Amino acid sequence: MRAVIGLEIHVHMLSKSKLFCSCPTDYEGKEPNTLVCPICLGFPGSKPKVNKKVIENAILAARALNCKINPEIFFSRKSYFYPDMAKNYQISQYEIPLAENGYLEISSKKIRIKRIHIEEDPAKLIHVGGDITTSQYVLIDYNRAGIPLLEIVTEPDFSNTKEVREFLFKLSSILAHLEIFNPSKEASLRVDANISLDGGARTEIKNITGFANVQKALDYEIVRQANLIRLGQKVERETRHFDEERRVTVSLRKKEFEEDYGYIFDPDLTKIEITQKWIKSISMPELPDARVKRLIKKYGIPAEQANIIVYTDKALADFFENCAKIYADRKKLARWIVTDLLKCLNWNKITIRESKVKPKDFVQLLKMIDRKVISEALAKEIIKEYVPTGKSPAKIVKERKLVMIKDRRILEKIVKEILEKNKKAVADYRAGKEKALEFLVGQVLMKMEKRVDPKIVREIIKSLI
Amino acid sequence: MIDLQKILEKAKAIQKEYSPFVTLPEKLEKPRSRGRLSGIMISVKDNICTKGLESTAGSQILRGYVPPFDATCIEKVKAEGGIILGKTAMDEFGFGSFCTNSFVIPKNPFDKERVCGGSSGGAGCITQLADFPHIAIAESTGGSISCPAAFCGVVGLTPTYGRVSRWGLIDYANSLDKIGVMAKNVRDAALLLSVIAGYDERDSTSLNVPQEDFTKYCKENFKMRVAVPKEYFTGIDEKIEKSVWQAIKKMESEGMRYQEISLPHTSYALPSYYLIAMAEASTNLAKFCGIRYGFQPELKGNFDEYFSEVRGKAFGQEAKRRIILGTYARMAGFRDAYYLKALKVRTKVIEDFKRVFKNFDVIVAPTMPILPPRFDEIAKLEPIEVYMMDILTVAPNLAGIPMISLPCGFVGKLPVGLHIMADHLQERNAIQAAYTYEAIK
Amino acid sequence: MEYWKIDKELIEHVCKIARLALSNEEKEKFVKELEDILSAFRKIDEVDTSDTRPSFHPLEFKNVMREDEPKVWKWQPLANARHKEKNYFKGPRIV
Repeated sequence: MRAVIGLEIHVHMLSKSKLFCSCPTDYEGKEPNTLVCPICLGFPGSKPKVNKKVIENAILAARALNCKINPEIFFSRKSYFYPDMAKNYQISQYEIPLAENGYLEISSKKIRIKRIHIEEDPAKLIHVGGDITTSQYVLIDYNRAGIPLLEIVTEPDFSNTKEVREFLFKLSSILAHLEIFNPSKEASLRVDANISLDGGARTEIKNITGFANVQKALDYEIVRQANLIRLGQKVERETRHFDEERRVTVSLRKKEFEEDYGYIFDPDLTKIEITQKWIKSISMPELPDARVKRLIKKYGIPAEQANIIVYTDKALADFFENCAKIYADRKKLARWIVTDLLKCLNWNKITIRESKVKPKDFVQLLKMIDRKVISEALAKEIIKEYVPTGKSPAKIVKERKLVMIKDRRILEKIVKEILEKNKKAVADYRAGKEKALEFLVGQVLMKMEKRVDPKIVREIIKSLI
Repeated sequence: MIDLQKILEKAKAIQKEYSPFVTLPEKLEKPRSRGRLSGIMISVKDNICTKGLESTAGSQILRGYVPPFDATCIEKVKAEGGIILGKTAMDEFGFGSFCTNSFVIPKNPFDKERVCGGSSGGAGCITQLADFPHIAIAESTGGSISCPAAFCGVVGLTPTYGRVSRWGLIDYANSLDKIGVMAKNVRDAALLLSVIAGYDERDSTSLNVPQEDFTKYCKENFKMRVAVPKEYFTGIDEKIEKSVWQAIKKMESEGMRYQEISLPHTSYALPSYYLIAMAEASTNLAKFCGIRYGFQPELKGNFDEYFSEVRGKAFGQEAKRRIILGTYARMAGFRDAYYLKALKVRTKVIEDFKRVFKNFDVIVAPTMPILPPRFDEIAKLEPIEVYMMDILTVAPNLAGIPMISLPCGFVGKLPVGLHIMADHLQERNAIQAAYTYEAIK
Repeated sequence: MEYWKIDKELIEHVCKIARLALSNEEKEKFVKELEDILSAFRKIDEVDTSDTRPSFHPLEFKNVMREDEPKVWKWQPLANARHKEKNYFKGPRIV
């Protein structure tokens, strides 16, 4: 079954103030309706004024996605009614968007970008006493109303969900590198996906939050449509909603009429001329592909690791480079970041941005290995405590008394004990089974809580057998 | 030392007889500053937000709405020592030419059976009747300052679009709304305009031009070149025609030569204006849906039902008509034929004026095609007939050029308005010509 | 696509989009009134605008933007709201 998928991606753009008013944008954890003003609340008499920085950020995104930027842009009023709409129209862009006809390359193909434009976010709704279909009324928090959104529309160039995932991953990284988007906030990326199978009817899945859910939603939808086709049933052209908990797409009850957006040019705003001079004056941060190349060249780390460091999160790449400033063995650094650090972060379900991990402490850990204060194996244990707590590795070592035991006499004593207890393994080793040696080493390490260098243990065992 | 209490009593007396006000405060606030408006009462059209004072824009859907901020023009008035007298009656959101689409209907100062004109009817009424120092802040979209000025026999000054900040003005049509003034004479009008005009960074369509003292244009200038548009004299009351020609001849006799010219797209200005205004208005009125402010009945039903109920109940007939037509004019498939076409016709109308102003300082014409009608007469009019009343004021309003209407005579006891229009940003020409005529008439 | 015409069905459709509940009498009355208005407006078709640019404002405004500086409004956003709960605005349900 051949799938045809197109995406409409809404990205929360980072800025200090909202798109059409000066309200602050750091609404996380704030009391509802405290970051609002008559403009974003849609009070009569208020008038919008566009945020220059947002346009500049959007220009950067357009350039990074190889789009043609329109020399004159306008804002439009997109009319529709909903309780989260402060004015019951959204200031967006219709006829003349910011940019068009770009592309983003993924491993298998070029995904064409149809258009990019700027628009304002609506308010946040809370459905009281149920969910969207059962609540008795809604509570509205306008803190989010007016936050700038970048809408990126692709052509239906995706053939499978793996491509979608790769695309979103790469897009997210580019936007993070442009510093116009924070990828660790899941709510800052919402996707509407259009999908059809084998030239059949197209369904739209609206408002999928975060790109992990996008793949899940599309995977489910492909299976759903495929089953219908197999049973000889018709796939309806409709709008669906992705239920995150049950991981299924659900049909949204059809309205008896379709909204007619009735676009007009917003007469409260002026046209904006985007000159070449202006575009050139906006400094373009380093894009991820370029950064990968530079890391490989500058630090001599393997391409695969450089890719992971850069594309997982711009903040991770920043972390790497900050560590690299104070630590010379960059290859070791990269290896530890890409394996143990990432593993710990994922295990604790936090991103590098949210964690308390700092270059100074992380480098301290690596230096302790270098100086053989602790073993690599022990370091792998210490990092498990360091990452979630932020407690410095030196402190952890001190508190848990994890310093390596270097006194050979003690080591030999313990080895002898282990050899005594594991006569069969000793015999196996003498008989030529190498695995038995590793087993014995493992036993020693366990007994010694890994506070010993495995190489030395192996050497001692061999000498005693 | 003015006696505020006494003035308020006078205003209340006028209110009792003629109803120009929607809201008169219990007490008049003594101003905190001194300035060019010290001692002058300023009435404010009810679509201009006054902090702490109910502002309804003449609509039931905003009854009880108390704005949390002052419009820019109000801030400026207060800073110059002006005293906010009260909020004047208007057609709902500006939709009307007689000030009858309103829950307060003012009566014509010259004849209580007749209308004040609209939509700034209350402002026209109180300006004529106030026997204390007073100037009105009013607003025009398609002629809502000029029309009541003509019908109430006062001076109405509509400045260039963008001259006065729209911050705090409850929108009718954003590309057409202009805040202006009404006064008993040209100098007072120029004074208030000087105070309220000026660049405001809160309004993206505020003209970024240097502040002007318009009162310095209050001097006679007999050298002005006057253009008289022939299209403005067809189909109007012949008594008005006579009165206006008398005025033009008078000006000529004092040295202000005139020439007849043509503004060929005049008849297209009306449909163009209405289509644009209604399209914009239908989006501006979408925010009124029974939540956050204004009319908020019991929450019942889903949002489609609740919004529809609220809007169906609290909007007047004319508002509904315009919302329907305005929504229709920008619907997919119709947009090009109506909304976009109207925007192009607007360009043509503007070009007509620009062409004339290359060779002339002002255009002079009658303000209204009829004398102030009776309430019972207009009750019989079809909506399209009411729209046609704007025929002489819509073109300059569409073009956003400055204009002044001032009295040029009477027909019986009813006043006739003379309309003087000038090029964009040339208030000086309109004011000079009006002041000169005022001096010689 | 027929222009400059309006019938009850179209009015009802527009009222749904514009969230206006009209009584049957209102709808009936509006059909004639709006028909007359549109008939009068169709005059603009006579104007040749084939190479005319639309005027969104009567004078040209362009490039009006503001700096990205946050400012906090000190006010009571819920002061005019009748329907509210804690610090939220309350609105009607979705479905």
